[in-house]
Amino acid sequence: MVLLERIGFYFQTVYHLALDPINLAILFGSVILGIIFGAMPGLTSTLGVALLTTMTYGMDTATAMLCLLAIYVGGTYGGSYASILINIPGTAASAATALDGYPLARKGEGGKAIGLTTTSSAIGTIISMLFLVSISPMISFFALQFTSFEFFLLAFFGILISGTLTSPDLVIKGWISGFLGLFLACVGRDLLQFYPRFTFGIPELDSGVEVVPVLIGAFGIPQIIQVLKDRFQIGETQKFQRILPEFGTILKNIPKIIRSALIGVGIGAVPGIGEDIAAWVSYGAAKSASKHPERFGTGEYTAVLSTEVANNACVGGAMIPLLNLGIPGSPPAAMLLGALMLHGVTPGPMITFEHPNFIIEVAAILLLASLTMWVVGMLLAKQVVKVLRIPTQIFMPIIGVLCIIGSYALGMNIYNLYLMLPVGIISYFLIEMGYPIAPLVIGVILGPMADENLRRALMVSQGSFLPVFTRPVALILFLIIVWTVLSQFNLFKEYKNKLIAKIFPRRAAKSELLPKGGKE
Amino acid sequence: MMDKDKLRKTDIYSGAAIFLFGLWIILQAIKMPMKDSWGGVQNVWYVSPAIFPLFVGCMIMLLGGLLCRTALKTVGFKAFGQTVRWLLSKGLLQFLNSIPILRFYTIVVLFLSFVYLTIPRIDFFLSAFLFLTVFITSFYFDDARLLKKLFFFYLAGIIVLILYFAIGLNDPLGRIVPFPADILTTLFIGSYCVYAWMLIRSSPMLRKKYRTAMIIAFVSPFVVGMIFKYFLLVPMPFEGLVVALTDYLWYFEF
Repeated sequence: MVLLERIGFYFQTVYHLALDPINLAILFGSVILGIIFGAMPGLTSTLGVALLTTMTYGMDTATAMLCLLAIYVGGTYGGSYASILINIPGTAASAATALDGYPLARKGEGGKAIGLTTTSSAIGTIISMLFLVSISPMISFFALQFTSFEFFLLAFFGILISGTLTSPDLVIKGWISGFLGLFLACVGRDLLQFYPRFTFGIPELDSGVEVVPVLIGAFGIPQIIQVLKDRFQIGETQKFQRILPEFGTILKNIPKIIRSALIGVGIGAVPGIGEDIAAWVSYGAAKSASKHPERFGTGEYTAVLSTEVANNACVGGAMIPLLNLGIPGSPPAAMLLGALMLHGVTPGPMITFEHPNFIIEVAAILLLASLTMWVVGMLLAKQVVKVLRIPTQIFMPIIGVLCIIGSYALGMNIYNLYLMLPVGIISYFLIEMGYPIAPLVIGVILGPMADENLRRALMVSQGSFLPVFTRPVALILFLIIVWTVLSQFNLFKEYKNKLIAKIFPRRAAKSELLPKGGKE
Repeated sequence: MMDKDKLRKTDIYSGAAIFLFGLWIILQAIKMPMKDSWGGVQNVWYVSPAIFPLFVGCMIMLLGGLLCRTALKTVGFKAFGQTVRWLLSKGLLQFLNSIPILRFYTIVVLFLSFVYLTIPRIDFFLSAFLFLTVFITSFYFDDARLLKKLFFFYLAGIIVLILYFAIGLNDPLGRIVPFPADILTTLFIGSYCVYAWMLIRSSPMLRKKYRTAMIIAFVSPFVVGMIFKYFLLVPMPFEGLVVALTDYLWYFEF
């Protein structure tokens, strides 16, 4: 009965949202804006969500979410335009799409490729939305059993795993980045005793570091510097014919779509790692499962389909930990968390009690956003692609002004600007030195949660760490953290291999027989 | 991002800096109340505000040390010595004078002056117009020689503005003329535009780019500013000459 009620409410929400012309205008506007942000190399969906957040603070929560989720979905999809037509990924999420999308465009099948990415992106988002609705109540119920120790360990795990998986160089750098984010979260008066930490007597720092200016600084400023410093130029756009939905190709590849969607949702649900990893993993899985892996890289439709389903499925996947645990699943989801906090919604296990219909509303918005994205992709792709002709030297300074006015507009505090710029410049240097930025942002967001829960947990246990070993969930999380850390050390890897050889001697002998590099 | 070899060399320094930063966090954290009374509450170590910064500081210090050690192990002390020698040689000066680095300076100076100098003191529309005019013309012309000239012209203007505010001329002048800083900025923008025009007037292609840059630099702040000021009702960081004018028009009309 409850399930029927929920389904009823879901369709009611879709109906109400879709019937309001203002909502529809916002939806179409945000999706188009998202596609433009995704398509323009140098701009990202995270930056799009960040900049739009500053414009939504006057809206009610549902309209703001409509706006932000639409730009998120549009931005994730929009990256494929630049990948297919100019061989430069519009976003990191669509880098894998370029491998086969561009060869297709060179063969004169760019329109077909864009049609396929449009339909598969919409399908990916819809599948992830189904997962969001069905899994959320279970996770929420499970998370209600969590105590402060579990929340501290969960936040700590989020930072570690995000650092491990997003680091382009050494894993240590990802962890350092996460801990630097945790340090930034320490700035301000502490939540339990109101003691000023690292404020240096500056009253503006008493309330701590504002998340949104940090996010805008960390994602926007380095992007502007990189693009203009390295004289990044957008290449010649490949011409393409009429765009068709490619339902035939979709129907032929249903198992591949399901596999890619599962990969996307799974990776999206892991804290802090985003659409780019989902797309690459899905590409790898599609290639290894294919009967003709040699065709990958030369213009294979299944490759384009698998990457686009996965990166868009990541959107719904990233919402699962965000809404149920308060832990963002991807960098744009981190931005959404900031936006939700601005609107007085605190994501976490209590969300089902405080805002019982919120997750269903989010799911309804995801459905509408994906349908709008499909319509825009089918009808307006040729027009949207024209933005690729705008020189980067013109739009990047405008983005700079938007970053600045956006950071200021939140709280109308000029101090946010004073903070945003140094964060941006430091982030640029960190990126240049191979430090990932996503863990830093996740650290800033999860810092207060980690701090508060660590101290609360110790207060309850009178300073004892024993509950970590006596509570099953805490113990599992602790063991996963230990495993994540130890698995990065060679000594541990050697011991692990020796142990495996002892337990499974046949498997070890088989792997020894493989030629060097055979794994590749 | 740099190549792997360069990265390992940089890791030595960034690892050491991060190690020291972690140490600084710990030193600051141990000054926080651990067992003392704070705000009438007797502290115990596990509820102390220092516990989390201490944990974070220790981790940063440990990881910074590990990074430094890994880098030294990979490239060796010899490479470390080479980098130190390079830092003390003319190579560093050549690197600092290279065109990509000049581009970097230009972007950073533009942002720093916009955020810390003009936005808090000069009308938003004028600040943004100045920022966009310099930013777009410097990079859109795509000529290193022009970039250098335009950058130094802008830098000179910024130094004048810094001196103007540092000496405290704004207040006495404000009693005689309204919005003196905005008038000065308008003059600066005008002289910059004339200077840029003189530099590029002989090239038809650059003249076209100049026109485009000017239109975009003029229109964008108005579009963005109008949305924030009149539709989202966000007061501008500093409202001066242009905002007074737009306010007059807006409220007169509606």
